[in-house]
Order: sequence, then C-alpha cells, then structure tokens
Amino acid sequence: MPLPFLLPAFTLSALVFLAPFVWLAGTSLRVQAEGSLLLSDGVSLSNYRRLFADPFFLEVLLRTLLYSVGTTLISLLIALPVARFLVTRAGRMKGILLALMLVPLVSGALLPSLGMLHLMGPLGVVNGAARLLGLPTVKLLGTPTGILIGLVQSFLPLMVLPLVNTFARLPLDLEQAAASLGAPALAVWRRVILPLAMPGIVAGAVLVFCAAFTSFVTPQILGQGHIATFGTVAYQQAGQVLDWPFASALAVLALVMIGLLQAAVSIGSRLARRREVRP
Amino acid sequence: MSDNRLSRAAAACLAATMLVTAGLPALAQDFKGKTLVVGTWGGDIERLLRQNAAEPLENETGAKVEFVLGGSGDRMARIYAEKANPTMDIAFVNIYEAPQALKDGMVEAPDPNAPYFKDVWDGMNNGCYAMSLVGLGIAYNKKLVSTPPEWADMWKPEFKGKIALSSYPGSEGDGVLGVAARLAGKDEHDPDAAFGKLKELTPIAMTYTSLDEIFAMMDAGEVAMAPMISGYVLSALKTHPDIGFSFPKEPGPVLVRDMLCLVKNSPEPELAKKFAALALGVKNQTDYAEQLYFGPTNKNVTLPPEVSADVIDTPDEVKALLQLDWPYVISQRADWTQRWNKEILGQ
Repeated sequence: MPLPFLLPAFTLSALVFLAPFVWLAGTSLRVQAEGSLLLSDGVSLSNYRRLFADPFFLEVLLRTLLYSVGTTLISLLIALPVARFLVTRAGRMKGILLALMLVPLVSGALLPSLGMLHLMGPLGVVNGAARLLGLPTVKLLGTPTGILIGLVQSFLPLMVLPLVNTFARLPLDLEQAAASLGAPALAVWRRVILPLAMPGIVAGAVLVFCAAFTSFVTPQILGQGHIATFGTVAYQQAGQVLDWPFASALAVLALVMIGLLQAAVSIGSRLARRREVRP
Repeated sequence: MSDNRLSRAAAACLAATMLVTAGLPALAQDFKGKTLVVGTWGGDIERLLRQNAAEPLENETGAKVEFVLGGSGDRMARIYAEKANPTMDIAFVNIYEAPQALKDGMVEAPDPNAPYFKDVWDGMNNGCYAMSLVGLGIAYNKKLVSTPPEWADMWKPEFKGKIALSSYPGSEGDGVLGVAARLAGKDEHDPDAAFGKLKELTPIAMTYTSLDEIFAMMDAGEVAMAPMISGYVLSALKTHPDIGFSFPKEPGPVLVRDMLCLVKNSPEPELAKKFAALALGVKNQTDYAEQLYFGPTNKNVTLPPEVSADVIDTPDEVKALLQLDWPYVISQRADWTQRWNKEILGQ
C-alpha cells in the first residue's frame, strides 16, 4: 500500500501508543527535588542506580520472573488437553466452551480476584469443604500457591486461544498415520503433535508470561501484602509514595525485560525454522 | 415509545428547560455553559457531594459539575502533571498529601478570611481545607479480644501473628508508626524507635486494602486486631456483629483528615469556592456524620446523641486526638516505605 494511505494510522499510533512510552522513559531519567514532588531540572541515572543498588528490588524482580515462568508452565500443562479437547471432541459445544474460556479475560482483573479471595479464604469454599469432610484446611491467601492459582486463572485463556488455533490447523491424518505405524499415544504427542503445535505454544507462552510479569491486581489482593511483585511495587511507588520518576524506571525495566524476551523468542523461532528446512 | 413521540418529548423538555433558565436571575447566566471539575472518591462520598454540593450549585448558577472518581494518588498525579494548565478545579486528597501539594504550589493556600475557613475547627486547615475528621482506632474480633483494646494490647503475646496492617504508605501506616514510637517513649521523629517497636508485631497476619478483605479474615479468626480509620468501618460494623471498634486513650486516636483542595490557577475558581462552601457547609457535614460516620470539621454542626457517640465532633474529643507532624512524616515517605517493605513485611 502506498505510504500516504498509511500515514494517518502511523500518526495515530505514534501519538497514542509510542508517545506515552517516550514520556515514560523520559520521566524515568528525572528526579524529584528534595522535599518536593516536582521534577527538578536535568537528567540522571539515579533512579536506575537505586533500582540496582537495593537488593530488595532485585529480589522482587527475581520473584516476579519466577511467578511468571511458573504461571506459563502451569497454564501450558492445563491448556494443552483443554485446547485439544475443544478442537477434536467438543463438537457443537465448542462455541459455548470457548466463550466460557474467555470469561476471565473480559471480566477484568478485579472481580475474579475478589471472587478468588472468597474461594481461597479461611472461611471460603475450598476450606469450608475441607472442614466438612474432616480434612485439614490449607492456607492459600498470602502464599505463592494462592498467587499462582490466581494468575493461572486470569491468564489461562491467553494460552488456550492460540493453541486452539494451532490444533485446528493440524491435519488429523498425521496422528492417525503415526498411530497406525504403532506409536503409542504418548509418542504421538511428543513426536508429532507438540512439535507441530510449537508456534501456538510459543505464542501462548509469550502472552501468558508478559501478562503475569506485569500483573498487579492479582498479586496485590491474593498476596495480602506478603508477596511483593513488580506490579505491586510499581503501584506503591506511583500511587502511594508518588515518586513518579522512580515508578517510571521500574516500568521501563519491565518493558526492557519484555522486549528482550520478544527478541529471544523471535531469534529462537527463526533458528528453528532454518533447522526445519535442512534435510 | 416511538421515535416521533420521543423526539416530541425531548423538544418539550428542551423548551421547558429554556423557559426555566430564562426566568433565572442574571447571576445564574454568568456560569451557564461552564463546567466545574471535582476529583473525589467514588461511592457514598460522591453521592453526598452530588446531592449536597453539586446539585444546589448547578441549580443556583446554571453551571455543570463533573466528577472525576478515583484514589487520591490519581488526583495528585493529575494536578502535578497539569501544573501549567490545570483542568481540575477541586481535588479531595488525604492529610498526608495536602501539605505537600501546598508547598509545591499546586493548590491555593486556605484563605483565613473565607467564611468556610472560620467555621472549621482551629488549626485543622493544613495545606487545604479540612473536610472530615476521622481517627485511627482499632477494629477487633470480639471473640478474641474481650474488652475494647488499648494500643498496647496489640503487643500482647497471645495476639502474635494476628495483627493486620493496611498497605503502606498511607495515613493508617503513618499513624501506627506514630503510636508505636510513643509506646516506645519517643515520637515519630525517631523512626528507629517507631520501626523497632512495630517490628515486634511481625509476622503481620495480612496487609489489607479493603474492608471486605479484612473483615472476612477477622470473622474467620485469623486477625484479632487491626488499626483502622473510623468512618466506613463503623457503618460496616452493622453487618459484622462479631467485630468491634475501639478509640484508644493512650495515646488517643490518631487524627486523620480528608482535605478539600482548590487547585491553583484552575479554570473556574469562583465556582470552586461556591462548591467548597457547600461541601464544608452544615448540611453536607451533617450527612457525612450521620451516614458515613465522618466527623464534621464544621464547628456549627450539632449531631443527635446516638450519632455523636460514634464520631469525633466535640472540642474535647478533638483535643484528645494524637496529631502527627505531617510535613515531617511526608518528608520521610520514600525511606519509610523501604523500611516498611523490608522490616515490617520482610519476605
């Protein structure tokens, strides 16, 4: 398409999408004057120095990374059979089931988290049922387990959707051929389905990872203040301490991490494609 | 209703509005087409401000009042970002934000000659106008704590691990630090004493961000006591028979205030002053007390005894409150937040 037709779209994206990022990056290089919330003149790296000098923030970064990786892996384990079922077995129910899968995505983060709070609380459904059955109760709120459950609940659809797309395009003949040649079900999954579904898995993993890495509401509510993550610390700095430049530096670091991940994924998949072409 | 009837009804409405507004005195015309932008908290506060301040103002002046709802941090960010060209006229913020906003020149200094300044208790208009008086007291589980607790009771060994705190920074956390310092024989100017004493309460049962969360845990017996700000808590107690609220005496409850700020160089300063007079006026302040348990800042408010019992509204009660050195507390915020993150929440 000729460039003039694209210009309005480019201009709009630059204004509403890129400009805020540039603004954010610029703010992260400023500091507040002593005893004031106003930004003083001049630029410096002091926000980033503080970020890397204090082990607290590095711990938070590491913890957030761990939760994001955990959420991605658990989501993948759950989403693989679910997506496969939706494509091969659900039949006419597929539409309804897919719509149900999307509910966590369209209902925002706050309501499901408050719901989870009452599910997982000491008087909640889970522990209430345990008590009825005479089983020991479990502490879920304020623990890593509780947060992982919440994060998987929120972001599972981001894994299921790309997988459904990928599975829908896999011809069933391939698996049938493998099975008729004597491959057991597990081998069919490992050597036929998974390698072919890799693009969907990678797409889903990137989406879930990024969403978990930047999530705020779920760890804030389900963590009960015991577990600081990138999102909760950035909120604390921006919304409560009102140290906007430092909060910007935190946000820029998160953006950089996500950018690096994207770069790694795209390089990785290019290498993989090159390998496929070889005999 | 058909489209045709709908448009006829709309036309009739329009004609009626034009007739009514044409009959209003000339003054009303001055503000016609103007919009006053008010930033405040949603829920009951918005409802009362709409009913007692916005609607009378709209009827009197012909202006429109637009509410922007959210937390006070959002409003602070907005008025600082719009410093050169403000679009918000009135911002409601917390006591721990108002003096900073005045110092940075974001808001008008309270005008000692304004009638609504004089109606407020002496010495309360720090930074902006004091909107409501609430005290930091202790919410407690009546099954675990038999009598209304004093501050020192939170440190009793039987409640170890059963004390909840609000998220930090905020008025509640600063108040608790002020109390802890005093129990250690110092005050908030000695943060080592404050944090050292507060640290004895760790591990904290939980950090709460909403009443719903903390009351669920309190009803479950997981939390025995939590320092909380009176007001909403007291109205919520009706649905939680096992939870009580205590105003301690040694030291007294920590005074916390909502503040009404007139944004500097705002587009509609005259309307803003009229709104402030209504918001700080007797009617609105009485409704705040009767419906939200927010103590009136207006000295002229008299409350029925059953309401007065639950809110801070007499000179003696006001005198018994513990007042923190907020400008100092504000100056320590970044450091204290890190200390809180590490020493109180410590992962």
